[in-house]
Amino acid sequence: MEKPNVSLNSLPPALKPKGSKTNSFFKRLVQQRTLAWMCIPFVVWAFIFKYLPLWGWTMAFQNFKPARSFSDQQWVGWHHFRILFEDNTFYRVLRNTLVMSSIKLVLGFVTAITLALLLNELKNVIFKRFVQTVSYLPHFISWVVASSIVLTVLSPDGIINLLLMKLHLIDSPVLWMGKGEYFWGILGATEVWKDVGWNTIIYLAAITAIDPAQYEAAEIDGASRFKRMLYITLPGLKPVIVILLIMNMGSILESGFEPQYLLGNGMNMDYSENLDIFVLKYGLGMGNFSLGTAAGIFKTVVSFIFLFSANYIAKKMGESRLF
Amino acid sequence: MLKSKFKTAGLAVLLTALLAGCSQNNSSSAPTSDDENSPVTFSYYMFSSGKKDTLASETTIGKALQEQTGVDWKLEYLVGDSATKAGVMIASGDYPDVISSSGEMSKLLDAGAYIPLDDLIEEYGPNIKRVYGPYFDKMRNAEDGKIYALPYTANQGEYSGSPNIGGGAFWIQRSVLKEFNYPQITTLDEYFDLIEKYKEKHPTVDGAETIGFVSLAGVANNFFTLQNPAMHLAGYPNDGSVMVDMNTHEAKVVAGTDAQKKWIQKLNEINAKGMLDPESFTMNKDQYLAKLTSGRVLGYFNYGWQIGDASKNLLSAGIDEKRYAALPIVFDEGIKDQYIDPPGFVNNYATGITVNAKDPVRIIKYFDNLLKEENQILVQWGIKDETYSVDEKGRFYFANEDQRKAHDDLELSRKFGFTYFGSDWPRYGGESTLSDGNAYSPGNQPEVASASYTEGDKKFLEAYNIQTFSELFNKPEERPWFPAWSIALEQGSPEQIFTTKSDDLQRKYLPEMILGTPSNFDKLWDAYMAELNKLDKAGYEKNITQVVQDRVAGKW
Repeated sequence: MEKPNVSLNSLPPALKPKGSKTNSFFKRLVQQRTLAWMCIPFVVWAFIFKYLPLWGWTMAFQNFKPARSFSDQQWVGWHHFRILFEDNTFYRVLRNTLVMSSIKLVLGFVTAITLALLLNELKNVIFKRFVQTVSYLPHFISWVVASSIVLTVLSPDGIINLLLMKLHLIDSPVLWMGKGEYFWGILGATEVWKDVGWNTIIYLAAITAIDPAQYEAAEIDGASRFKRMLYITLPGLKPVIVILLIMNMGSILESGFEPQYLLGNGMNMDYSENLDIFVLKYGLGMGNFSLGTAAGIFKTVVSFIFLFSANYIAKKMGESRLF
Repeated sequence: MLKSKFKTAGLAVLLTALLAGCSQNNSSSAPTSDDENSPVTFSYYMFSSGKKDTLASETTIGKALQEQTGVDWKLEYLVGDSATKAGVMIASGDYPDVISSSGEMSKLLDAGAYIPLDDLIEEYGPNIKRVYGPYFDKMRNAEDGKIYALPYTANQGEYSGSPNIGGGAFWIQRSVLKEFNYPQITTLDEYFDLIEKYKEKHPTVDGAETIGFVSLAGVANNFFTLQNPAMHLAGYPNDGSVMVDMNTHEAKVVAGTDAQKKWIQKLNEINAKGMLDPESFTMNKDQYLAKLTSGRVLGYFNYGWQIGDASKNLLSAGIDEKRYAALPIVFDEGIKDQYIDPPGFVNNYATGITVNAKDPVRIIKYFDNLLKEENQILVQWGIKDETYSVDEKGRFYFANEDQRKAHDDLELSRKFGFTYFGSDWPRYGGESTLSDGNAYSPGNQPEVASASYTEGDKKFLEAYNIQTFSELFNKPEERPWFPAWSIALEQGSPEQIFTTKSDDLQRKYLPEMILGTPSNFDKLWDAYMAELNKLDKAGYEKNITQVVQDRVAGKW
């Protein structure tokens, strides 16, 4: 399919700045000084809240004791990283983190895009609104309440067990929260229930930007509804999907904290404990802030690698990309 | 030109404002003290959960104390996991004026969250000295010999034990005992046999299946509810994760002992009979308490203070048979039960003033005022002729139902403030006696206890031929180190790592062993032991033994 390739970078030659690079940069700066001034508070904000805290990373190389001055801290080098990588628990929680965030990523994308496509096909506006509202309402429930709902629904005398018993699919109630192997599935389902509607919004917005003429043309050419979805809506969504995917790759080690913490218990610990909980237990919980920071650094580095590789791949494949 | 200067100036102001916002507010709050009682509100954080946040002045007691001192309090209670909250609090340095530490003392001390109180007490604390004076040596910080916090267990006067059971016990629904004509049961086998027989006779309660036994092992920081029975059954009091030998004063970790094996195996056995609620390992505390009040549960192990709200609700519901009786169950006949805590001193469940406190002098004065005997009576008994009465001999008692209700009814006691001021403040120890001979805690006053007994209570006591519930239990033996759970472990030390790791291990394995098929039990137990033996148990035991022996020698 041919598409006009207009981007901001390809300005007509007349507008292209002349002269040496730095010179033109300052010229531009002067030209757009009002804009530049407007940016400064936010640059300052970003510097203070996003870059200055990086100073705290020094903690990972110390035996950090709170409330002591920097010069009083004891330096231990890579000690805490070594502890981290020598701990069996660490690999278990790393596995759990990766699996859970992959589930969240894949399931989140698939369900949200599917729902957006289906909603888009709905012609009855009232019903469409109703579905949308119902599906994004759970997003506003806090995880504490949501997890209580999940625990109640899945308890031995909860509705799920009752239903399965009535349908004679099981003989005795299943202890859903007590089987580690079920945890990932339960978590995935919970996340979808909670966030599918919310995630759909951005795709629905993107769909409205697709030129209706394309649909009309396709219809005249005899494309069925399904074909139109496949060949117009989906390709139209592609740039949004790729950008979101890249951004989410950056947080591949952020599998969430609250649901795992609130739904986790001793019996499913092997599957529910993720990096954040590990940091909480062995770092914050034991006052060992250095270990927590070391794990945090590890997380950032991994996220960085994922983000850049995803971006690089997108670039190589000629897709839209983040930077 | 002028314009650009203006802009630069504006930017500078903005920058400083932003930077100032981040820099810590370290305008050192030198202890200022205005003698007048100008109104002021301090913040007070409690590392204990289950209470609603409130303003002290919204309760009758808080109001009365505010009139005396001008001080009001914003009371905040823990929600969620205490270790986490403490870590976050320390990491941010965002302390309230006063913190009641519960289990988080060593962490807060390590972080230097508290200010030393010695000078303040010397200058403004005559009542503090009177109450805590005899215990000062046990309160001092091991490192610098200073006092940082005021504990809640400084007993005064003669020891007055509780007629009711507020500590650990095996609880059983009274209807079970009634059904079989109040039998004497002492061993674990007898206890479960009785429950089994009752469950066979009454398989459902109000349409729902009867639950034989339930535990609160799904909540991470309440997991001890499943761990502790092993040592109680073996005849030890609650020393935390260890059992201490009476003669050698050697501490032994409960995890992996024969006692634990016996206890867990028994649970495995009753689970196979369908008597154990499998939800014991997954439900949260709200669900647990709801279950206890539903009347479906026949038995459970717990500490009275963990289930306070549930038992009060059951009491106010008025159906006596659905209430629970505490029994001193042991493994075998011949083991002397030690459920009732021996008199001890807990020095790390305490309250202290933080480095962020705006006006430590006003706070210490408030504490000192609170420790006056008349105010101690106020926080426990309330107001004379309103929430308690005094007879001609000077004995305190409840003259009518309304007075008793003011203490027992959840909502009323919240409104009056007993709920808020009864614990977590500098106070006399719970087993104290007032200077006029009355018990400090209304619950320990024999007149109150016997008068508050319901018809069902009386029937129960009569059936066992006793005057008070605690008479079913053995008297505690003297243990000068008690309780070992108050031994503070250094942050991030090998001992602490052992505790965390072994708890994790137990959280995983114990439910698995209990819910598995009995034939699989030994295999799982061996796997569990193999993992447990990888941890530095010996080092931990050595360390605790050392502290116990120090305490016995008088070195706290």
